[in-house]
Amino acid sequence: MKSRNKKECVAMLLAGGQGTRLGVLTHDVAKPAVPFGGKYRIIDFPLSNCINSNIDTIGVLTQYQPFELNQYIGNGQPWDLDRLSGGAYVLPPYVKGKEGEWYKGTANAIYQNINFVDRFNPEYVVVLSGDHIYKMDYDKMLAAHKQKGADCTIAVINVTIEEASRFGIMNTDGDDRIFEFEEKPKQPKSTNASMGIYVFTWSVLRQYLIDDEADPSSQNDFGKNVIPKMLADGKKLYAYRFKGYWKDVGTISSLWEANMDLLNPESGLNLNDPSWKIYARNSAEPPHFAAGSADIQNSIVSEGAMVLGSVKRSIISHSAYIGLGASVEDSVILPGATVKAGAVVHHAIVAEGAVVGEGAKIGEKQKAPVKGEWQIAVVGPGAKIAPSVKVAPAEMVKEGK
Amino acid sequence: MNGVMGVIFASDNENKLNELTIHRTTASLPFCGRYRLIDFTLSNFVNSGITQIGIVTRSNYSSLMDHIRMGRDWDLNRKNGGLSVFPPFVLNSSREMYKGKIEAIYSIQGFIRRSPEEYVLLSNSNIAMNIDFDEVMAAHLAANADVTMLVHKAKTTTSRRLVVESDENGEVKDLYFSVTPAPEDKNLGLNVYLIKKDLLLSLVEHEYARGHVDFEKDILMKQLGSIKINAYSVKSHAAIVDDVRTYYNESMKVLDPAVREELFYGDSIIYTKVKDSVPTHYKQNACVKNSLIADGCEIDGLVENSILFRGVKVEKGAEVRNSIIMEDGKVMENSSVCYAITDKNVTVTSGRTISGYESYPVVIVKDKTV
Repeated sequence: MKSRNKKECVAMLLAGGQGTRLGVLTHDVAKPAVPFGGKYRIIDFPLSNCINSNIDTIGVLTQYQPFELNQYIGNGQPWDLDRLSGGAYVLPPYVKGKEGEWYKGTANAIYQNINFVDRFNPEYVVVLSGDHIYKMDYDKMLAAHKQKGADCTIAVINVTIEEASRFGIMNTDGDDRIFEFEEKPKQPKSTNASMGIYVFTWSVLRQYLIDDEADPSSQNDFGKNVIPKMLADGKKLYAYRFKGYWKDVGTISSLWEANMDLLNPESGLNLNDPSWKIYARNSAEPPHFAAGSADIQNSIVSEGAMVLGSVKRSIISHSAYIGLGASVEDSVILPGATVKAGAVVHHAIVAEGAVVGEGAKIGEKQKAPVKGEWQIAVVGPGAKIAPSVKVAPAEMVKEGK
Repeated sequence: MNGVMGVIFASDNENKLNELTIHRTTASLPFCGRYRLIDFTLSNFVNSGITQIGIVTRSNYSSLMDHIRMGRDWDLNRKNGGLSVFPPFVLNSSREMYKGKIEAIYSIQGFIRRSPEEYVLLSNSNIAMNIDFDEVMAAHLAANADVTMLVHKAKTTTSRRLVVESDENGEVKDLYFSVTPAPEDKNLGLNVYLIKKDLLLSLVEHEYARGHVDFEKDILMKQLGSIKINAYSVKSHAAIVDDVRTYYNESMKVLDPAVREELFYGDSIIYTKVKDSVPTHYKQNACVKNSLIADGCEIDGLVENSILFRGVKVEKGAEVRNSIIMEDGKVMENSSVCYAITDKNVTVTSGRTISGYESYPVVIVKDKTV
C-alpha cells in the first residue's frame, strides 16, 4: 500500500543527554534545553536547521529531565513544525508489551523508535544531536549522500591536530570515503572530526539497529558500535565536509565561549541572517529597557531585560535585570536572572532566575584560558547569592551562598 | 469568560494620524517597540477568555491582515470562534463605505446574531491598556446595568474626548465631548462598551433606520435616562491614541517603568506577531540612555529618551534623541534625529539632521530616505 504519510527524509534528534559536564545548569533540565544567546535554547539550532533544510518530520528523543523540553517544543509551532502530516514528535522511552526500558545508547534510542520512523516510510534518516551550536543545510548533505550512493554519510569538520584527540576522527580516502574511524585517538592520522550528524539510508540502518540490539556485547552506541560494524562490513560510508561555525557546548567553558562568539563578528557565528533564521519559542516580553544610568557596549541584550548598570562584552538574556551600579563583564546572564545593585560579575554564567545580591562578587577577570578551559563561575538556576558574598572563578553554586 | 463576544473597530480617527496611517489602519499602528495598537485589545480579550472576535475594517487593512493573519499569535486560531475579519462593507443603500460605528455594527449584525454569546464587548482598536474583562462583567452584573462603559481619569486635551459624569454608584448622568484642555482630571470614555447583544442590535437597527451613524452621540447620549449606563473606572494605565501628538506622548510615557509595569505586567500577557529577530547588539561606541529597545537592533551611536522598533540600525556618530524609530529604520553615520517619528524602513543618510519640537514631532513617511 502506498503510504500517504511518506516522507523522503525523517530527522531523529537525540535530546536525552544529561550533560553532566554542565553541572548545575543541567541539574533540572536536559542539555538541549539550556538557554543560549539571549533568547534561544541549544535545541533551537538543530530544529531550525531542520525546517530550513526542508525536513518537516522530526522525532525528538528525550529521556533525562524531559519535562521542560517537552513543554518547550510543544506542538512545534515556533519552528513551523505544527504540520498536518509530520511535524515535531517528542519520543520518550515507553513500555512495549511487557517490557519497557530506558534508551541504553544512541543506537538503541533509534532502535526503540523503528516503528515511528517506519510510519513515514522514509528513504533516509538524519540523526542529530542536541548539543551543538551551528547552522547547517542538511539538504546539501543529503544530496551528497544520494550522489555518492552512500549507506551512511557523516558530517566532519576540520579541527587542529591538537584538538583532534578530543574528537571521533574519520580517516578518508581521496573520494572522502571513510576507511577508518578512531574515537579520540592519541595520535590522530587526520583532522576530520565527526560532528555527530549522520545521514543513513534507512533500510540499511534499520537492519544494523536490529542486529546491534541482538548483540549482547554491544553498548548500542553509534560511534562505538554501529559505525565500526558498518565499516568492518565494507558498507559505503562517506564524510561530508562542513565549513562554517560549529561548536560542541558540552562544557561550561565551551558554552561560555560559544555565547561570546556571538559578540565577535570574526567568529563566523552570525544569527542575524534572514535566509537562515534560528527560531525560538517567544517569551512575549516587551522590548528591553536601558535606563538613564545604563552603560552598555559590545553586548547583546534581549527582550524584557532591564539594565540600570554597566554591561560590557556580555549576553543579557530576556527578562534579566541588571541593577544600578552593577558591573557585568564577559558574562552570560540567563533569562530572568537578577544582578542586584553594586554586584560585580566577571567571567561568569548566572543561570535562569538566579539572584546575585547587592555588592556580591561573582568570578574574576581572566586574560586567557588555563589549560584550554576558562575558569567560569556559575550561579545555578534559581540560586540566591547573599549580598557581598564572593563566588570564586570556576566555582559552581547550586542553591545559594 | 463565557457568554461574551468581542467586536473591534479597526479604523478610527485615521485622518488625524496623518502620515502614520497612510499605509495602515489605526489598529495596526506600531506602538512600544514591537507591538501594534490592536495587540492590547486582542490580548485583553483573549486573556479574559473572549475568543469569538470580529474585527471590522474600513480601509488600508492589508497591513492589519498581515499582522494578525489567522490570529495564531493570540491563540485565536480556533475551531469554535476565533477571529473573523470583516473587510470594508459597502452599504447597498448609500453606495459608500460605512461612516460610523452604527453602520459598522449594522453591517455585521448577522455575525453578531449568529454567535452563541449573550453579550458583546465593543472596543476601538486604539487603546493601550491591560485589564481583566471578568471584573468588568462582574461590575456590570452587580450594577444591573444595560451598558457598562470603560472610563479612566485623565486630563482633556485638544483631542476629542468623551467626558463621562457619573454618580457615586457609577451610574452615568451626563455625557459630552470635549476638545478643550483643562487642568483637572476628568472621567474620560475609553470607547469600550459591554452590552447585551439583543439590546445592541435593536438600538442599532432603530438608529440606522433613521440615518444615524455615531454610536456615542446617537445611541448613548440619546438613551441616557432610558437605559442604565454604568461607568467602570480603569485604575491602571490606559492610553488612547488618536492623533500624532497623543501617539508621541503616549509612546514616551512608556519609558516610565511604572507605566510599563502596568501595561505589560498586569493581568494580561500582551501578545504580538512573533518575528524571530535576534537580540539587539550594542557595539563599541553605543551609548543608550532611558530608551526602550526592541530585538534585532544594531547600535553603535547615541540613543536617548527614545523608542527603537525591531531591526533599527544606529551607526557610529549618529544621535537619536526623544524620537521613535520604527521597524528597520536606519540612522546613518553622524546624522542626528530629534523629536521625530520615523515610520517603517526610513533611512536618514549620513550627516543629515532631522529635528521637530516636543509639541510638534516631525513625522517621516514609510520607506523614505532623508
